[in-house]
Amino acid sequence: MAKIVLDGVDKVYTGGVKAVDNLNLEIADGEFMVLVGPSGCGKSTALRMIAGLEEITGGDLIIGDQVVNDRPPKDRDIAMVFQNYALYPHMTVEQNLAFGLKLRKISKSEIKRRVSEAASMLGLESYLKRKPAALSGGQRQRVAMGRAIVREPQAFLMDEPLSNLDAKLRVQMRASLNQLHDRLGVTTVYVTHDQVEAMTLGDRVAVLREGRLQQVDTPKKLFDHPVNLFVAGFIGSPAMNFVGAELQKDGDGALLKFANHTISVPSSTFSQRPRLRDYLGREIILGIRPSDFDDAELQREGDPTMEVTAEVTEELGTEINVIFSIDAPPVQHEETAALAADAAGDGEEMEGTGMPLSGDRSVFTARVNPRSTVRPGSRLRLAVDATQLHYFDKETGQTIGNPDLE
Amino acid sequence: MSSKVERWCGLLILLVMAVLIVIPFLSIFLASLQPAGSTVTGLSLPENWSLDNYRQAWTAAGFSTLLRNSFVVALGVVPVSVALATLAGYALGTMNLRGENGLLLFFVAGLTIPVEFIVIPLYFNLQQVGLGNSLVGVILAEIALFMPFGVYWMRNHFRAMPRELVDAARVDGASSPVILRSVLLPLARPALTTLAVLVFMWSWNQFMLVLILIQDPDSRTAPAGLGFFVGQHGLDVPLLSAGTVIVLLPILLVYLFFQRSFIAGLLQGGLKG
Repeated sequence: MAKIVLDGVDKVYTGGVKAVDNLNLEIADGEFMVLVGPSGCGKSTALRMIAGLEEITGGDLIIGDQVVNDRPPKDRDIAMVFQNYALYPHMTVEQNLAFGLKLRKISKSEIKRRVSEAASMLGLESYLKRKPAALSGGQRQRVAMGRAIVREPQAFLMDEPLSNLDAKLRVQMRASLNQLHDRLGVTTVYVTHDQVEAMTLGDRVAVLREGRLQQVDTPKKLFDHPVNLFVAGFIGSPAMNFVGAELQKDGDGALLKFANHTISVPSSTFSQRPRLRDYLGREIILGIRPSDFDDAELQREGDPTMEVTAEVTEELGTEINVIFSIDAPPVQHEETAALAADAAGDGEEMEGTGMPLSGDRSVFTARVNPRSTVRPGSRLRLAVDATQLHYFDKETGQTIGNPDLE
Repeated sequence: MSSKVERWCGLLILLVMAVLIVIPFLSIFLASLQPAGSTVTGLSLPENWSLDNYRQAWTAAGFSTLLRNSFVVALGVVPVSVALATLAGYALGTMNLRGENGLLLFFVAGLTIPVEFIVIPLYFNLQQVGLGNSLVGVILAEIALFMPFGVYWMRNHFRAMPRELVDAARVDGASSPVILRSVLLPLARPALTTLAVLVFMWSWNQFMLVLILIQDPDSRTAPAGLGFFVGQHGLDVPLLSAGTVIVLLPILLVYLFFQRSFIAGLLQGGLKG
């Protein structure tokens, strides 16, 4: 087992396309690191560079304590799980598992031991003599995992290994992946475009956009303290709501004004984010997580409220997603545009962004208590947790006065 | 259009095409059964069946030697062509080499050069290196001749394999030769068979190349034997037909034997693309 360090790693393709741009990432020994981002953000390229399947244009890649830039994959002692499993179709499950070990001249008895151990760990014992074509998707996926496990490598690299499974199986495999990592404790780098997967699996999550690292932190920190609009919008489902708002001084605290709504902000906000004072009297981008709303009828008194008309309600049993629009133009920023483009790619993940039905109005999503009596078309008073608001600079898209950055 | 009508239309078209293709062969076959020297018009059933033409044709044209020569050439050409095409196709299809597109274009350009174009200079070249009038010379020339298609064919086959399969093998620790031998070749059987059958057929049917490169009539290959029936004794259609059937038969047998994987190989590219 080993740590993996990417030190200023670049990938420039012939033709000048920069897929990965000065990536600095330190993955601790035994850590589960998830690389996440929309398609084309360079996460797969980064992974393939760690594997040695893609040449490194600049910077250093260190596995253990050696620079391995110029080593072929077979000398890096890593194992990889591919999106389409890449099982050898003409070999049985057993042969698939043993292939890499045979090439490494490991003794027959040791191969047998490792294969049967991995097979029992993954529940594959009864399929060992079958060929991949005779297996279900989930079983193939487990064989692909098994092929990595038997190698007992320094690190696992996984390239969207669950994305070919149906939703139910994906949740199940996610849980077993978690267990497996706890049990084996092998350094793992995991690539996905699915932020739910990233949040549930990662010890830490690295968010990439256009080849550049945006933020790397624990899932909780990413959720609570995103560094910019992009991370804020990418992490969390339904996605964070954005609106341009004016910050006005109001005694010790402040008022946020947007459309016909006013939210009062407690003074504690300024002690946590001192730089926010510089923005008093100016326009900022306000971010509100859907989960920081609730039906005011069911909420303790004291939080500021907004009166809205519910347009769509999604009753999920454990909560209700209320979709409503606000009489303010949607936030136009390079980073939210990137998010909208990604959401158009796979709609179900991020239902909040880029809904065209409202014309020049911002679409918001609120996640309220399932006991709420809200119905489509009904008026609803929403309480907002004003301590959990997110503030972004209108120009740069950076979080204003992020406590972690100060 | 309902699917039923569609199916019947399809069947009808196939039937018409099959008839169009089969009729000439049928007429050759029927003619070969007519008494030697008779005039043959259209599709006429012979009055008395006789295999005598075959006996005559066989001895007159010396097919035992010619067919043996043809087999020698085919046995020399097919394995070497397939092996070289596989190696080159593997490199061009999976290794992302610098300048591989230029190299591939160079190979494909070879497809556009007709053999008639190069056969005379080739004759002199082979004479110079002492391979004139020899089957070895023919074998080498044919291998080179079939290389453009072979390389293109195998390169496309390897390119159509999922890239991750090769990646997985590399991460598993396989070297390039091992990837080819243990991962790609076992999956390439349909493509290899198809290429081998095609090369066999082309080699077998090679007429002019052999005619020019080899002067000794006994060293020529089977198609050259057909020339024997034209001219020398006037045109004896039944004998010529019998000779034609003799020359055709090996190809027919090879095709029937490998039919299944031949068709699988042809379809493979289409289904994946």
